[in-house]
Order: sequence, then structure tokens, then C-alpha cells
Amino acid sequence: MPVFNSVTCPICGCLCDDIEVTVENNEVVKIKNGCAVCEAKFIGYKGEHRIHTPLMRKDGKLVPVSMDEAVHAAAEVLANANYPILYGWSSTSSEAQRVGVELTEEVGGIMDNTAVVCHGPSILGVQEVGIPTATLGQIRHRADLVIYWGCDPWSAHPRHLERYTSFTEGRFEKSEWTSYMQKLKAGAGKKKLDSALRSGLAKGPVPKPQACYVGGVPPSLSKGGRKLIVVDVRKTMTAEMADFFLQVEPNKDYEVMQAIRALVKDQELDVDSVGGVPVEYLEAVADALVNCEFGVIFFGMGLTQSAGKFRNIEVAIQLVRDLNARTKFMIMPMRGHFNVTGADVVQAWQSGYPYGVDFSRGYPTYNPGETTCTDVLLRDELDASLVIAADPGANFPKRAVQNMVKHPLIVIDPHMNATAMLGDIVFPVAFVGIEVDGTAYRMDHVPIPLHKVVEPPEGVLSDEEILKKILEEVRIIKAQKAEQEKKEAA
Amino acid sequence: MITLTPLKQFKYPIHAECITPETFQGKTASEIAKLPLNEGNKPKQLGDLFKIEESAAEAPNIIINGDVSEVRHIGQGMKTGEIVVNGNAGMHLGEKMAGGKITVNGDVGGWAGSAMKKGLIEIHGNASDYLASPYRGISEGMKGGKIIVDGNVGSDSGCYLRGGLIKIKGNAGPFLGYHISDGIIYVEKNAASRLGANMVGGKIVVSGVADELLPSFTVDAVKPKVKIDDTESAQGPFYVFLGDLAENGTGKLFISKANNPQIGPIYGKYL
Amino acid sequence: MTELIIKNGFVFDPLNGINGEKMDICVKDGKIVKTVNEHRAKKIDATGLTIMPGGVDIHTHIAGGEVNTGRMVRPEDHVKDAVAKTAITRSGTGYSIPSTFVTGYRYSRMGYTTVMNPSMAPLEAKHTHEELNDIPLLDKATFPLIGDWWFVLEYLQKGDFEGCARHVAWMLDTTKGYAIKIVNPGGLESWGFGRNVHSIDDQIPNFCITPRDIMVGLAKVNKMLNLPHTIHLHTNNLGLPGNYQTTLDTMQALEAVPNDGKPNMHITHLQFSSFGGDGWGNMKSAAPEISKYINNHSHITADMGQVIFTDTTTMTADGPFEYTLYSLSGHKWVNSDVETETSGGIIPFHYKKNNAVNTIQWSIALELALMIEDPYKILMTTDHPNGGPFASYPKIIAWLISNKARMATLKRCNKKGQKKSLLPTLNRELSLYELAIVTRAGQAKALGLKNKGHLGVGADADVAIYNVNPETTDIANKYKTVRKAFRDAAYTIKDGKIVVKDGKVVMNVDGKTMWLDVETQQKCEVDQDMRQKFKQYWTIEYDNYPVYDHYVKVPEVIPIKASV
Repeated sequence: MPVFNSVTCPICGCLCDDIEVTVENNEVVKIKNGCAVCEAKFIGYKGEHRIHTPLMRKDGKLVPVSMDEAVHAAAEVLANANYPILYGWSSTSSEAQRVGVELTEEVGGIMDNTAVVCHGPSILGVQEVGIPTATLGQIRHRADLVIYWGCDPWSAHPRHLERYTSFTEGRFEKSEWTSYMQKLKAGAGKKKLDSALRSGLAKGPVPKPQACYVGGVPPSLSKGGRKLIVVDVRKTMTAEMADFFLQVEPNKDYEVMQAIRALVKDQELDVDSVGGVPVEYLEAVADALVNCEFGVIFFGMGLTQSAGKFRNIEVAIQLVRDLNARTKFMIMPMRGHFNVTGADVVQAWQSGYPYGVDFSRGYPTYNPGETTCTDVLLRDELDASLVIAADPGANFPKRAVQNMVKHPLIVIDPHMNATAMLGDIVFPVAFVGIEVDGTAYRMDHVPIPLHKVVEPPEGVLSDEEILKKILEEVRIIKAQKAEQEKKEAA
Repeated sequence: MITLTPLKQFKYPIHAECITPETFQGKTASEIAKLPLNEGNKPKQLGDLFKIEESAAEAPNIIINGDVSEVRHIGQGMKTGEIVVNGNAGMHLGEKMAGGKITVNGDVGGWAGSAMKKGLIEIHGNASDYLASPYRGISEGMKGGKIIVDGNVGSDSGCYLRGGLIKIKGNAGPFLGYHISDGIIYVEKNAASRLGANMVGGKIVVSGVADELLPSFTVDAVKPKVKIDDTESAQGPFYVFLGDLAENGTGKLFISKANNPQIGPIYGKYL
Repeated sequence: MTELIIKNGFVFDPLNGINGEKMDICVKDGKIVKTVNEHRAKKIDATGLTIMPGGVDIHTHIAGGEVNTGRMVRPEDHVKDAVAKTAITRSGTGYSIPSTFVTGYRYSRMGYTTVMNPSMAPLEAKHTHEELNDIPLLDKATFPLIGDWWFVLEYLQKGDFEGCARHVAWMLDTTKGYAIKIVNPGGLESWGFGRNVHSIDDQIPNFCITPRDIMVGLAKVNKMLNLPHTIHLHTNNLGLPGNYQTTLDTMQALEAVPNDGKPNMHITHLQFSSFGGDGWGNMKSAAPEISKYINNHSHITADMGQVIFTDTTTMTADGPFEYTLYSLSGHKWVNSDVETETSGGIIPFHYKKNNAVNTIQWSIALELALMIEDPYKILMTTDHPNGGPFASYPKIIAWLISNKARMATLKRCNKKGQKKSLLPTLNRELSLYELAIVTRAGQAKALGLKNKGHLGVGADADVAIYNVNPETTDIANKYKTVRKAFRDAAYTIKDGKIVVKDGKVVMNVDGKTMWLDVETQQKCEVDQDMRQKFKQYWTIEYDNYPVYDHYVKVPEVIPIKASV
């Protein structure tokens, strides 16, 4: 029973690479160190939705076809398209992403990745004001103030706190795990009592839910050791663990941050509260920000997808930038897919632009809102799509998906996901990070190798191999077309 | 005068930097028909996409009759002359314009008038987002000239404005005048949230209803009217707000007192 | 395999003492050979043309995490310089931070064949190598940033030079690096908490050691490891008025590591470290003081760091310096610190002719090039893209060979800056021979690259042919002709293949990535030591840290036997 150490988990932007995988008869039978999501993927990836042969839609139904037939059909679609989109990329390796750029350039289409519905606004914000950031180890070693704003790592990046922030041991800061456990125990007793009072099992006044900002600024903001602040519109699981939870009204994060910026610059505000938060609480937060040794803000969809979008990220970065005049402060987006960072990185080094790259003019152009595929889909400007390592059929706006299925749709995925179910040509592929090697980039841009621990199913190739086959066939078809046109012109 | 009529309903984006008075100047209709441009990823010629007719009339230099909402960069960088579009026009209309006039009897796409230096753009319909705002990563916007929109404008219009006038007769979307340093934006109707965010100079005037202002603006005075340009002043009274304090800015927001009774109770005590 | 003969050109090959001699160059199987079969060989008629070894660039930021973040944050830089795909070449974008394919094509069109990527954060080494793989037509190598690496700080603090050397060897192997890069020693670790060092004898917070200790210690380590290049240093206090004193202190400190009269340190982009005055108002050139020292000592080589008047992008591992630039300019600022190893920063910067300080900076680099007598000691770079894009090299060539060119630019500069420039007093003009030294021979020699920078038998067949006739051209007067010639090479030959003709890429070849395989005596023990301590220092696993062989598409492994 081979046991693989230092395996990299291919799920989220944490890219934990300390997973121990036990394999028996080409099956993963045990996982150590991974979170529940990691275990679910490694044990369950072979599920009932796995595709084993290429498929094509004939008479309205997807039927098995040979690899050659599928490759040729896909290549014909792309070679003849006037404005194709090649979307996805976030759950495959940088090696496959490189072929993606070459293919998109060859067919004169748009290459876009899942950032467009996720952290694209973060990239736009960074392109306006830059970003003071660091690798996650700097946070682990140095941060005494950790802020999660508009994100819930407990649910979405489960090991983030234990590997990189509040619950890690750093060279200069210790883990807060013990004090958190003590707080939990102390809180558990009170929770039990409150519950008993409410259900009448114990005698006493029924506790009413406490309004958020009652009783003054909590003393936990001035304790020693690492501090954890969570800012969100509702009390998430991560917020339950925080030393201070700041509840803001939905779509008011921009106002709150702009107010804190003004306070950090010693300005006075005319108003008494911002986004539902009394100004004295904002002043306490501003104090905590300025007085820390090393602070960091992690943020997620709460900022990128609420009103303001990229300007929310911009103001968060501007706040962190302003704070660097007083102390050391960093900011980092909580990237979702395990290699969406890689997709941005690869597209940028080969074309200059990170996502929404349009090759239709023979050279790369970039203008989110114009060249991003969600917008192209909403305006129905395309005439073909290739989707790989993503599931827009499930995640995109309804009208975008309706327009997508009006045109030939090529899907490359291990699973019969929502997009594959709508596809016209479907290619099964191996799971990167389980059945295929590769490289991925963590949310802080650190490249980490992905490892193969089991063989893929018989006849199932990697993303990189399928893309190369399609690219080769596209080139043959285009050469034949050019020959034909030369003959006709003569 | 050259008249262009689309030969079909365009579906794929067309990049038409070649449609400017300077480029057409001195060319016959058949030479103009040979001007190269892309339709999607296919290289075409202007004559493949438009019927091109020439007449003796001097002005306007170019008339476009039809829906050109997929035709981008019309009038890019033009310095003289006049273009009239009788239909909806695509993105980047009049980008980098340095003189002359563009009239659109219809709506326009995003980034109309981006990086404008001089000239006049009149949009009789609605404008989309990023009106007069610069390309990603550039922190200098429209430098001069005049843009008038009869209808509404989308979000992030007039960003980094540093001169000239933008007049909006309808409603404006969020982040109007983001980081404006000079110049004037005048909204006759309503302005949405985050008005004048990161403003460091210049003026934004709102005669209709303004959404809740950013907390980093401070009320300064009440003024009876405000000058828009040499031909017009807006009648108040207006609350005058200074900001954006987060940028130590000294820009001014003029918010109609009559249409914003919600301001008095919050800010009145400072006047 | 293929044979090639380049006939009848004027050859400038300083490392072999050849100064404009009319001779044939013979190539076989990618190497320079004595003779070939003239009937079989492909011929290039180089009558009236100048032949030099292919260009070598000792310091250019072209690949890796920091460069790529620079690309990502500056779409406005690329949009003005789009490069279309051709039948042979890939598309891309350019200006100050070209995409990878365009980087290769543009260097090759100027006759360059070898480039050094000087800053690689070891934790991100795989990224650097992935990008280097995508840079065609050039041989390349990269330098890991080690100056503030915690292991180096700890071993030097203990005075354990041998232990430090073995760990540095481990690092060079593991990251497939070529040289020891040191940036603002001590400053990067201090920047971890937002601080900096201000002299070479400042104590670094949390580590009882000084910048002097780091530089001297690593110079000793460099010697023990028998590395082909010296330590490659970006000085403390870079970019601050009055910093020339720190540079002098630094050079004096290195006198403590004798090296048989050979260099023991290379100071990069020396212009930024040669500021006099004590504030921006009275900032002036300290090129005389720095040049005097370098002229009188043999242990220093340097490269210019020429400023070009354009909108470019600064990017260095010197995090605190980049923050200072942000405080001065207010432009968008990226900071990118890397755990256990280094810091970094990026900020756009526009050098303007009408700015006094920028004018003086422009002048300083040229003053250094003209006042330092031995061209082997002062090589041509812009610290791309910090001083300006590498595509501007032909402009610098014109300034180096022609006083007329220098004065033509100077007279359009800020008046106060003009008055402070020493260029009107410097009439020296480099000859083509000296030009060959500062752009190839001297670069290769400083780097210890045995088969580059010269055209002797056995050298790699990397040849540049330029449209300049040294017999009939007064290069100082006709500098515009020279500039054009060096911008669009008549031919660039890489490994014996013609890749550029008349300034256009005609063939695509992969270059090689060179790296050192350093053999020390206690390799096993060092591996064990690293494995045990790894989790305390980094947030990835020991097994996932190294740059495995498959990350380097076309390797050239250089075996080195260390003395420890």
C-alpha cells in the first residue's frame, strides 16, 4: 500500500501541500492532514458522474465517439469560428494553461478564466492602485492582527487559519489556538445555559438576542498576541472565532472603508454611523489597525461581488497603503479555485494580461467589460465556446448560459457537470493533482507542484494532451483552408 | 460628405479606428471602401461591411445611418470635422478626441469620450459605463472638451476628470467623478451612490436627488447657484460639500437643497 | 551538422585581443571552429560589416514572480505596444515589461544571445524557470536572492562560514541558480516589519548581524564555493542623496576578502548608488568619487544602470526603496515580501528630461562609464526595466561612442540638471572595441562564462553582425547610423543558426538555461538539516520546494567543485 507524502491538494487557493495519501489497487483509500473538502475530493473523485469516452451530440443526445472524430469536430468548430471564447482554466495545471494561450492565439478568440466571476474585480483594483502584499509565510511569522473581510475561511478555505494565520506558530508570533479553545469552553457553558433558559428547562429570565454594538468597544482589541477581526454582513463561523466581529450593512463596505481611511488620516466625520457601524467603533478599529506590528486583510466575494465591485478592492488596498505610512500592513485576495492564480499568471507572462485576453486582432488586447467572456456572452457576440476546468453552465448568469448554448460548445472536464450536459462535443480528462502531474500557483503566487498518485481511467488523457491534439488539428485545418483559398484565387 | 450604411446587422465586434474625418480626407469612396478593419477575427475592408456613398455636401464629414452598436472606436483621435451617427454607436466612441464634433442620435457603449482632449460629443440617448473615463491603470482622464448626454449614464463616469465639462441631463450611475481633480460634471437629475469618491479637486453639481453621500465628505456652506461654464449657471440653493477627506481632497459637491430634504437632519447642525 | 562561414567582416573580439581585424569566423555544430569546408558551408558575406560575439546582459529583470506581477498591474503599459503573431513568432505585448516571447525576439533583434535574470525569490524559483523556458532565442541564467535568507543570517551570525557555504550551495542547486544575489543586505529582513537599514554597520533587528557581515561573509562563501561569478550586489541606501558614502564603505569593506587581484564583488546599477548631496534639492553626481575608487582597486566590477527618459516600471527586491518611491510619487505601488527569504516592490516611474534629478541620474551613469578607465569594470545595462526598457540599448550605445550624441540629449534637459552634469568635461568616446567589452566581452568575463562573449575556438557560436563599416564610418559623428545598426542587427546567430536577419526574426530556437551543480563535501548532512528545519521556516513542504529537472526545458548544467 504505497503512501504518498507532501501531496498537494487540488481544490482551493490554500493549496495545502502536506497531504498524506494512501493508495491501494489504484484507489485512494485514506487521507491524512486534509480538510473535509480535500478528503471528499480524493476519495470521491471517481463518482458516478465521471466521463470515460469522448461524446458528441447527435440527434439531440450525447453519444460516445472516437477521440479522432471528437478532436476533428472540435478543431473544425474553432478553426472556422469568427469570435470563439475559451473559458475556464482554473482547475488545471499551468502546463495545460500554456497550451490554452497558444490555442486561443491560433484561433483568434478570447481566453478567459474564472476570475471573471470571482476575483476579477481584485485584479482590476490592483491595476488601479497596486497591492502591498506578501507570501503567506510572512503572515504566519509576523502578523499580530489578522482581518477577514467579506470572506469566511472556516467554510471556504478550511485550513487557512491553522496553516497561515491565527492558529499557526510563527518565528515572531505564537498560535492563538489555546486561547481560542479556552474561549470556546467558556462560551459553551453560557450557550448551554441560554438554551436551557429559552426552552424552560432552567428557571430565569429568557435571554434576548443582543444587538451588535452594545456595551462599548470590546477589550479583546487590546489584548496581547495575535488578534482576529472579522468584518461581514452576517455572523459567519469565522466571525464566531474572532476577537472582534464588525457587522456592516450589505453593500456598504466601501463607505465603511473610506470612513476608516479618513479616520486613519486624523480627519473628523460629520456623520455618527457608517454602514450601520457607530463611528466610535470605527475609531477603535482604526486604532487597532494603526497600533499593530504587522496587520493583514484577507478578503473575498463579500467585497468583489457586492456593490462597488472592483472599487471595494481598490479602497481596501488604499486603506492598507495608507496604513503603511504608520505600520506594516498587507492585503491578499482569498483565491477560490486551486489554480485560478496560475491561469492569471500564465496568461500574463505570455500575453501581458491576466484574464479576458482577446486575440481576435492578431495581438492580445484586454478590456474587462469589453473582452471578458461573461460580457461577450451577454451581448451574444460569440459563435463558439470551449470550456475547460470550470463549470459556467452552473455559475454564469442565466442569459449568458442561454447564449452560450446557441452556439457549438466544446467541453473538457472529468465530470458530466452542468456545462458538459449542455455540450456538443465533450472530452473526458484526468484529474490534475490526483491522476496527472502539473504545477499550480497558490493564492499568494507561490508555485507548488501537483502530484500524480493514481493512474487515470483507461483511455482518459490529460487536459494538456487533449488541448495539444486540438491545436494540432486546428493548424492542419487552417493550412488546408489556406491552400484551398490560394487555389481559388489563382 | 461620406454616408455609411451598415450592410447587415453586425454580430461580431468591429474595430473601426479608420472612421475619422482625417482618415477619409482626400480619399474617394472606392478608396475608403478598401480601408482595413477586423470583424471578429476576420480581416475585412470597410466596403465589405458598409455601403459607402459620397456627396458634395461639406458637412458633416461622415454620416452613419443605422445600428452600429458593435462598431467600436468611431471617431478615435479625430482633430477636426464632424461625425453624425443616426443609430446606436459602439464602445470607445471619440476616444482620444482632440477636436471636432460627434453627434449620436441614439445610445453609446462604454468608454465614450475616453481620454478626450478637446472637441464636442453630443449623445441624444443614453451612455453606458465609463463615459470619459480612462483605460485600466491610467490615472489621468479627460483633459478638456465637452460631452453632453441627454439621457442617463452608467457607472464610473468622468473618472480622473482633469478638465472640460460633462453635462448629464438624465440620471448618473454610481462612482460619478471618481478621483476628479479638475473640470465640472453637471447632473440635472439624480446621482447614485459613491458620488465623487476620492475626489481631490473640481466640481460635481447635482440638481436632482443624490444617494447617501460618502462619510468622507464634510458639509461647508449653502450657495444660491453655481457656474457651469461661460454660458450657464445652475440654480440652487445647493449644499456645498468638501472632500474627499480620505484623499485630503479639496473638491466640491453641489447638492440641490430642495430635492434632498434628507441632508438637513444629518448635516444641518454643522451649518 | 550545419557548417557556417562568416566571411570578410571586421571582427571585434576583445577577450582574444582582436580589434577590427578582417577575418573569417567559422561555425560547426553550434561552436566556433578553426575551419570549415567552404564548399559545404552556408556563407554569410560580411564585407563591410562589424562582427561581434553575441550580446551578453549581466542584469535584466525578465522572468519570475515580481516581473510578472509588474506585467499584471500595468495593462496601460502594454496597450501602447502590442505585437502581432506571425508564421514564426508568437504574439505578445511590450514596452517596459514585455511578455516572454517578445522579450526573446527583441533582445535577439539587437544581436543579444545571453541574458541574466538577476533576482529570483527562491520560493518562487519554479515560476522563474517556467518563464525562462518561454523566452526564445536566448541563453539565460538566474540569480537566487540569498542576502537576507534566514539561513544565511543565522550561519553568518554564528561565524560558521563553511556551514553557510554548504547551505548556499544547497540553495543554488535547489533553485537551479547561477550566482549569489544580495539586495540591500539586512534591509529586506528589516522591511519584514516595515523598517530598513541606513548604514552597513546597522544592526538588523531580530538577527545580531550587520550588512557588512552579510556582504563580507557571502564574499568568503563565494570564494569557498569557487563560483564563476562574484557576489552580485545592490547596495544599501540605494537611490538616496549622499549614498555614495555607503557605496564607498561597501567597496572598502570588501577589501577584507582578497581574491588574487581578481574581482570579489559586482555592484549592479551603480548609477543609483552614486548620488552626492544630502537632499533632493542639492543632489549631485558622485561619479568622480566612485570612479576614483574603482580605478584604484581591482576587486570591483559594476554595471551602469542607465536611466532613459521614458515611462518605465521599477521593480526590485528592495522593498523599502520601492516604498520610498511611492511616498515621493504617489503612483500605484506593489509590495511583495517573500517568507524567510526576501522582499520586493514595484512602482511605475517616469524619468523626465525637464526634471533636474532625473537629468543628473541620466548623466551619472554615463559619467561612470567614461571616468572608469577600464571598460571591463563598467558594463552597459539599464537594470531593465528600472532605468528603462532594454530596447533602448542602442540609445546608450550612441551616447557611449559619441560626445555629440550626449550633448544633443543633454541640451534638451532641465537647465539646473545640465549645469550639474559633468559630461561637458568628458570628451572620451568609446571605440567599437571598447563597446564590445561593455556589451559582451566584459559581461561574459565578469560572469565567468567561459564559452560566451568571445569568438575563439570552442566558444558557443553566438554571433552578432552589425551594419557598421568601421573603416569608412566616423562612428562618433554618425552615431545615428550606429544606433540604427545596433537596433536591427544585420544577422544574429544563435548556436550556429541564423535567427535574425535585417532586424527580423527568421527562425525560432529554444535557448538554454544555465545553472550550477555545486558539489560540497557534506551534501547529505545539509539535506538532512534542511529537511528537519523546513517546516519552521516555510509554509510549503521540503519535497515541494526544489526546482525539479523537468522545470528546465533545455538545461546546461555547469558542474562546480567547492572547496568545502
